[in-house]
Amino acid sequence: MNLAIQLLPQFLLGALNTVIYCVVSFPLALLIGLLLAVMRGSRIAWFRTPSKIFIEVMRGTPIITQIFLVYYGLGAVLANYNLSVYDNAWTAGIAVLALNYSAYEAEVFRAGFLSVEAGQTEAALSLGLNSGQSFRRIVLPQAIPLMIPPFVNDFIYMLKDSAIVSVISGTELTSVLDIYVFRFGSERLPLYVLAIVLYLILSLPTSYVARTFERRLRAAL
Amino acid sequence: MEQTMLEIDVDAAHRAHQQRMMILRVANILFYLVLVAAVAGFIYYVYSNLALINTYFIYLLQAAGLTIGLSAVSMILAVIFGFLGAMGRLSRFAPVRYLALLYVEVVRGTPILVQLLLWYYGVGYTLSNLGFDPYTVAFNALTPLQENSIVPLAFSAFFYGVIGLSFNYGAYLTEVFRTGIESVDRGQSEAALSLGINSRQTMRKIVLPQAIRITIPPFTNYFITLIQDSALLSVLGVTELEQTMGSFAYPLIDPNQKLFLFIFGALIYFAICYPLSLLARYFESRFARAY
Repeated sequence: MNLAIQLLPQFLLGALNTVIYCVVSFPLALLIGLLLAVMRGSRIAWFRTPSKIFIEVMRGTPIITQIFLVYYGLGAVLANYNLSVYDNAWTAGIAVLALNYSAYEAEVFRAGFLSVEAGQTEAALSLGLNSGQSFRRIVLPQAIPLMIPPFVNDFIYMLKDSAIVSVISGTELTSVLDIYVFRFGSERLPLYVLAIVLYLILSLPTSYVARTFERRLRAAL
Repeated sequence: MEQTMLEIDVDAAHRAHQQRMMILRVANILFYLVLVAAVAGFIYYVYSNLALINTYFIYLLQAAGLTIGLSAVSMILAVIFGFLGAMGRLSRFAPVRYLALLYVEVVRGTPILVQLLLWYYGVGYTLSNLGFDPYTVAFNALTPLQENSIVPLAFSAFFYGVIGLSFNYGAYLTEVFRTGIESVDRGQSEAALSLGINSRQTMRKIVLPQAIRITIPPFTNYFITLIQDSALLSVLGVTELEQTMGSFAYPLIDPNQKLFLFIFGALIYFAICYPLSLLARYFESRFARAY
């Protein structure tokens, strides 16, 4: 117990790193996901099929395989070309988290676009707006409030998935836990409890906010 | 007479539209040709590393079989945990309800990696200090059958890894089962009880069959995620697909060979999960139609 209190600052630093990973990766994931969703809905096969393939591959492989591939596999190739400065746990972790979650966000975007009534698009097109304008001014503003609860849920998932960077020697809450469990072998259970409590502090308020938002949104609809 | 109507040259607009459609069709056909060339190029890339595949493929295949077996066992245990959790969430006794709520919220709010580490290095370490070691138990159990050599040294890691995975997915399945049971209209159980059927038979013959229609579609999705999360057991040292692939790839010096082996391992995971995701989508559309 005293050990947990003694090590609290290091654990809080690890939790801060967790939040940094997520706060940097999630907007990237949203941007790439929006791009992927727009590509997926295109009539041009050059955009549609690569986007579909990317989404299926990202959702069909484990995130730990992807991060090993990027950190060790691509890292070895980069070292060959003397670009190792780009191969560290931060860049690999942020890149893999953003790319992996962009596939899930693309599916959320697609569901959001499909949930706006077709009548809205038809009316916009018959009033003379072209398809780009009808998307930007009619569909997107109506779809965004519907997509916010799934986005917040995905942010909570990312808070937990960021633990994966600990296997590639990233400095995250899980890796701090690992280091101190290894060092203080005989008094390890309080450290686990501390890590779990910190993760709950990060994720439970966010999920509470998500549920309140979802309830108010459903009442408004 | 003044014409207040807009003068639109319909024929020219139609011809321009047809021209654009033709360009689009040609561009799409060009793309599919490029796609065929890209697939051929990928097959050539795999073929050019054939020596590597010949050396490692049989071990990777064994490890993939182990992954699927692990995931199947975890799924069955997770269903048991989930069912117990759902019964707890819907229980009449408030302490049982709060305990189940605590289980669901804590397990869903923490990363699965931390939970796996807790199970093996926390619970496993404490229990082995108190004398319980899954490896020795399995070894002694199989000794009379003279099969104790099939127990791997990492059996404790297997044991706690499977329990950790099932415990995690049990919390998610608790919510799936609970929503399924609550989604059946309360009028059904009220009518059944007023007809004289007791509450246990109501659950078994009226509520659960209707609840299953809501609960089956998420199952395949959770199984796919479970197979992907079983890759995390490599952190505990379990020799499943991720660990085997990594242990073959680290000693390789040539970076191209290293990258190829990682890509090949990811390809095997994709080959397992993609057909399952197609199956999941089929189930979703099949169960969306009512009887």
